[in-house]
Amino acid sequence: MPSPIPAIARYTVMESMRNRLLLLCLLLAGTAFVLIEFIGELTITEHRLTQVALLAAFLRISAVLVVALFVVSGTVRELHDKTLEMILAMPVHRASYYLGKLAGYSVIALLVCLIFAGLLLFYADTQALLVWAASLFLELLLVVALALVMLFSFSQVPAALAAVFVFYGAARIVGTIFLISQSPIIAHDSAAQKFMDGFIELLTWLLPDLHRFTRSEWLAYNTADWSALLPLLGQTLVYLCLLAFIALFDFYRKNF
Amino acid sequence: MNPDFIFHRERPVSDVPALIRLCLLLALCLQLVWHGLQPPLEARAKDLPPPLPVRAYIMASLGEPVAAGRYLDLWLQAFDDQPGVSLSFNQLDYHRLTQWLDVILELDPRGQYPLLLAARVYGSIRNPEKQRVMMEYIYTRFNKDPDRYWRWLAHAVITAKHELRDPALALKYADALASRGSKVPYWARDMKIIVLEDMGQLEAARILTGALIDSGEISDPYELKFLTNKITELEKKSLKKRQTVEK
Repeated sequence: MPSPIPAIARYTVMESMRNRLLLLCLLLAGTAFVLIEFIGELTITEHRLTQVALLAAFLRISAVLVVALFVVSGTVRELHDKTLEMILAMPVHRASYYLGKLAGYSVIALLVCLIFAGLLLFYADTQALLVWAASLFLELLLVVALALVMLFSFSQVPAALAAVFVFYGAARIVGTIFLISQSPIIAHDSAAQKFMDGFIELLTWLLPDLHRFTRSEWLAYNTADWSALLPLLGQTLVYLCLLAFIALFDFYRKNF
Repeated sequence: MNPDFIFHRERPVSDVPALIRLCLLLALCLQLVWHGLQPPLEARAKDLPPPLPVRAYIMASLGEPVAAGRYLDLWLQAFDDQPGVSLSFNQLDYHRLTQWLDVILELDPRGQYPLLLAARVYGSIRNPEKQRVMMEYIYTRFNKDPDRYWRWLAHAVITAKHELRDPALALKYADALASRGSKVPYWARDMKIIVLEDMGQLEAARILTGALIDSGEISDPYELKFLTNKITELEKKSLKKRQTVEK
């Protein structure tokens, strides 16, 4: 019997397309374009630099929102419509279903990434943009895997989405919080303070280094370098494995 | 596209119970009355708040300091235009303004925008005291990184000379331009000669011009010719001055 993974991936992509993924992405890109042109009119100097920095930051967060929304809402609907039960009633391993979903949503992440990078072509240097887009794709892969973990854990759209955004936000700012905790304005030696410092340090060990990904300054100052992608690729592979096994662990324990 | 997709077919309004329709109208009237009882909206100018620590902005932007810096540039630039009120730059606290410019530069150290705001926006008002605050800010920044910020100090020389009419201040800035920074172009270094000439220190200006030529750093024939002519001109002026004193 052929592997069911490609079929599950294909239907995942088709379902997202039918849920008007492209329309949403184009609407977001159009809104971003109008907004950035307006901002361009407000700037007095460093016109392109300001536009590209703000546009890159806006598109990055938009891409994460779109991908998380489609992964969570699409898969939770499958859970509630009993489609998942129907698939699992067939000779399909739970791991195959998970990998099919992961592959399908990775294609969606790539599409979102290409559409948004296409808009940035008007403003940014091509080589820097390629590095930025590759980094965004890696970041979106982590968001896809994270969303799958959260929806298997919570099975409800609001709870799963909230958990994804809290986790994602924490991963992006945990480095800054850690630096703040290392140099407090008033030093305390209380047990509570030590506990908080230890907890923050633990988070820096457990969360992925998303603050190193997809930086808008790469595009603003053309500082992007292909070698910058290597550590990002390493982090993505490591954390993708971790998230995949968390999701599978949870998925195999579920009763339907 | 099927129009039903956008405009769902619905039952006629008459299908809605009369009590519901009446309650809807009453609720709408209640909202209008409620709004009418509220105190009218008043436009109030807000003072520029003190900036938060830089790390707060990095966190708020989810670790995008450059984008945060660019956003703050535009926010600060438009701060005088508040909803319903327009402030003049004279009403702004310039010392606090410099704190904001510092925060923005820390977020985006390669950006020139804050210096432009200091030189051409906040530094161009008709208030010598506030202009001096901005020019000193530019001078401080120039001292930290002369090669990056020299053009704003060149602007400060012009402002000190022509707007503040303070030759000593202009000379201080021009002297800094002439002595620091490897990437400061010759025309900016030449400003010291012009200021000295303006202050009547013709001999000092002539010596400085000669030193510039002798340094061998200037290779452009047009610039060399300009400086040689300048020496001749300064010598003539010096001679004329001496003759006037002797008479």
